[in-house]
Amino acid sequence: MSKVVVIPCSGMGKVYGLIAREAALKVVRELKKDEAETKCLAYLVTGDEEIKNYMQGKKCITIDGCPKMCAAKNAKEAGAEVIEELKSIEFAKEKRAMKPGTATNLNEEGWGVVDYIADKIVEIIDKMEVK
Amino acid sequence: MKETKVGIVSCSGEECLGGTISRLATRKVLEKLRMGETVTICLPLFIAGGEEERLFAKVFPTIAVDGCSKLCAMRATEKYSGKVNAVINVAEILGEEIALSELVSLKELPENYEEMVDKVANEICRKIDKIISDILTKEALEELESEGKSSGGCCCGSC
Repeated sequence: MSKVVVIPCSGMGKVYGLIAREAALKVVRELKKDEAETKCLAYLVTGDEEIKNYMQGKKCITIDGCPKMCAAKNAKEAGAEVIEELKSIEFAKEKRAMKPGTATNLNEEGWGVVDYIADKIVEIIDKMEVK
Repeated sequence: MKETKVGIVSCSGEECLGGTISRLATRKVLEKLRMGETVTICLPLFIAGGEEERLFAKVFPTIAVDGCSKLCAMRATEKYSGKVNAVINVAEILGEEIALSELVSLKELPENYEEMVDKVANEICRKIDKIISDILTKEALEELESEGKSSGGCCCGSC
């Protein structure tokens, strides 16, 4: 099975963009190194043939930090099959972490949400492997 | 004199250290070094957003901050929004090897990362200052020229 692509929005203006970014990095660099990878969202935005060819039909999990859903929309635009569209703010609400840090740095609450989202993504990937 | 804000669009790339440094340097400029003089936009909003977002580089003189030589922030901004006034390439400032390192998370950053952030942030500030200075000079010249025309005299204002 080819690797699942985890794409966070990495939004510049809000903490939820940073949470999405760190959660994706935790999955691809620690928890599911062999089963998951990420690609720069900015590269997807360029619309270059190389990345569009790469993303064509790839199973993709997106994590967005605001209702604009940039990661999900750009991944679809690049030709990926988005199997889950996660919203970091929803996970922060579930964890009652309403002051998770800033767009520059996370506090303990913020890192807690990162871990929570990363675990959720691992669950999704594990279910895919079983299928 | 009109108030001028400079737009900064960072790649924030997730595949290499250059992306993280571009993000941190941009945040430092926005929050500390040039607070109130700068604005930003999430790059992927050029596709996911509407006309208002795509006007960004037309409304604000814009600097693209890129983590590697693919220059995604610059190319995407110019493709969807407008010509950028300046480009910062982190790989040029810190070296290709450092910029392409895979240590991307805030938890993995090398010990001297703050130095790297400062180098890039200072370069962004230099570009901001140059853009603002160019705009002010242009405005001043236009003002002098219009005063000269309206009084029928020389634009130096003394003869």
